[in-house]
Amino acid sequence: MYFWKYWRDGRTRIIGSAIALPVLFAFVTCIAVRLGDPGMIQKGAVPLTSVAWSTATEVAFATCASIFALIWGLMLGAAASLGEDFKEKTVDFLLVRPRRRRYWAWMGWWAGVCELSVMVALAVGASFGTVVYLTGHVQMWWPLATILPFALGGALAYGLTYLMALVARSGRQGLSYGIGILFICLLLPTVASHYWNVNLPSIWGFMTAACRSLTGASGAFPFGALLFWTFIALVFPFASQLVLERREV
Amino acid sequence: MSELAILTENLAKVYPGVRALDGLNLNVPRGVAYGFLGRNGAGKTSTIRILLGLARPTEGRGTVLGFPIGREQVAILERTAYVSESKNLYASLTARELVRFTRGFYPSWSDKAVAKYAHLFEIPMDRPFAKLSQGNRTKVYLLLALSQEADLLIFDEPAMGLDPVVLDEFLRILVQDVIAEGRTVFICSHQLSDVEQIADWIGLIDHGRLLLEARLDDIKGQFRLVTAAGNGLPQTESPEVLWLASEGNFHKYLVKNNADAFAAELGRQGATVAEISPLGLREIFLAMVRKEEACTSGNTGEMAAPV
Repeated sequence: MYFWKYWRDGRTRIIGSAIALPVLFAFVTCIAVRLGDPGMIQKGAVPLTSVAWSTATEVAFATCASIFALIWGLMLGAAASLGEDFKEKTVDFLLVRPRRRRYWAWMGWWAGVCELSVMVALAVGASFGTVVYLTGHVQMWWPLATILPFALGGALAYGLTYLMALVARSGRQGLSYGIGILFICLLLPTVASHYWNVNLPSIWGFMTAACRSLTGASGAFPFGALLFWTFIALVFPFASQLVLERREV
Repeated sequence: MSELAILTENLAKVYPGVRALDGLNLNVPRGVAYGFLGRNGAGKTSTIRILLGLARPTEGRGTVLGFPIGREQVAILERTAYVSESKNLYASLTARELVRFTRGFYPSWSDKAVAKYAHLFEIPMDRPFAKLSQGNRTKVYLLLALSQEADLLIFDEPAMGLDPVVLDEFLRILVQDVIAEGRTVFICSHQLSDVEQIADWIGLIDHGRLLLEARLDDIKGQFRLVTAAGNGLPQTESPEVLWLASEGNFHKYLVKNNADAFAAELGRQGATVAEISPLGLREIFLAMVRKEEACTSGNTGEMAAPV
């Protein structure tokens, strides 16, 4: 029932995004590949593991997809959070349905993560499809695995806003808090590294490193960071559950 | 199975700076219509929210349909329908979509009831909730509650925005389709005449305390308005005389219990007793609440004589 309502509430957004995102990412990828190395567009001329591929990948996927996943996650968290039910005063209707409160906290989170993952998959798929089309290398579909780190980054941002909106009882306020916190979290590792030579975990660093590794550009896959950020991403729905269970309506 | 649909024992709820409930002891029998009355801020909605698990009691405990509040909340909610005072539902969903969303939660849901009440209430089923009038929004809420076929139906100001025809229809449905089937109705309303039409039992709450809980017929049997003429008659309220008004030699006394004995006593004091008349729920409510307001040293709560 909840998934149906989620679809009914957000179907315009979901359908619109599903159409617009692949087009947008294909277009961005086209530009990135042409700017990265014009030689790549000579079909089959450049091996996929070349430096040119690496540059194009980093620009087109790591940066664009990371920014997209984080922003999309933040905005989706504001739209889909139970905080909006508090704001619209529909929460007493929802919470007197015969389900435990943890059901609502987790279903809301899970529905948003599913939508986010589909959108990331469409965006990344369109990007890779474009690269493959431009370069003529059709055998290298495995970099689609980069959907995982981007979806994880998006889920983290989504969970953050989801929780903040619940705390603030408003999607818009939750979005403000979420942007502020995420900005600090992105900035802090850079500042700490620059001024104090301390390496703090960074979700941005994880997404780009994982992407480079999965596309074969450079480095080993950061499994430790994957586990760490997965844990952090799951902390938010847990925290949302605790907030909702203690919240009086 | 518990004989009581709702039982609370010393239920208290404290919000910052406000004691919303102060040792509330409710005993709502199964299969009756129970009118839960009180002024604004008396504690009615707080009580309902605690019963439904939307708020936690500060002290005390209770059961709904035999299930302890808080611990077996899902079991309570499966068997309870609730119409809230605010009547807010998802703005973009139509009544038909709200039915679709709600029905899956309840094993006892009746699509037959949906069709019946949608027709009776003349609900525009395919118009978004946001575009409905206040009355139609209330009707949608009532439709969802009635179609659950719940054992207990809790209504908080259900008549909001309803025209007299639909209101009359709604009250008839409560009596014929709900109470007649042995289900329980717990209704909060400021429309005392509506409550009086259907209620078997009355609970009167003020400042978070139960002032009175008894069968409506028994309550009506206890209270009388004694009208007398004479000089030097009593001018102060007492446990029996809840309210009095004087104009010249004419005096009116609202008397609880033994009105005939009170009238006889007035007669002995030289008064001419013109009339001993029964009272409606509205007059009794006003008398009880006014008496409560007059108390300056807190109240002790007052129960009607056991039936």
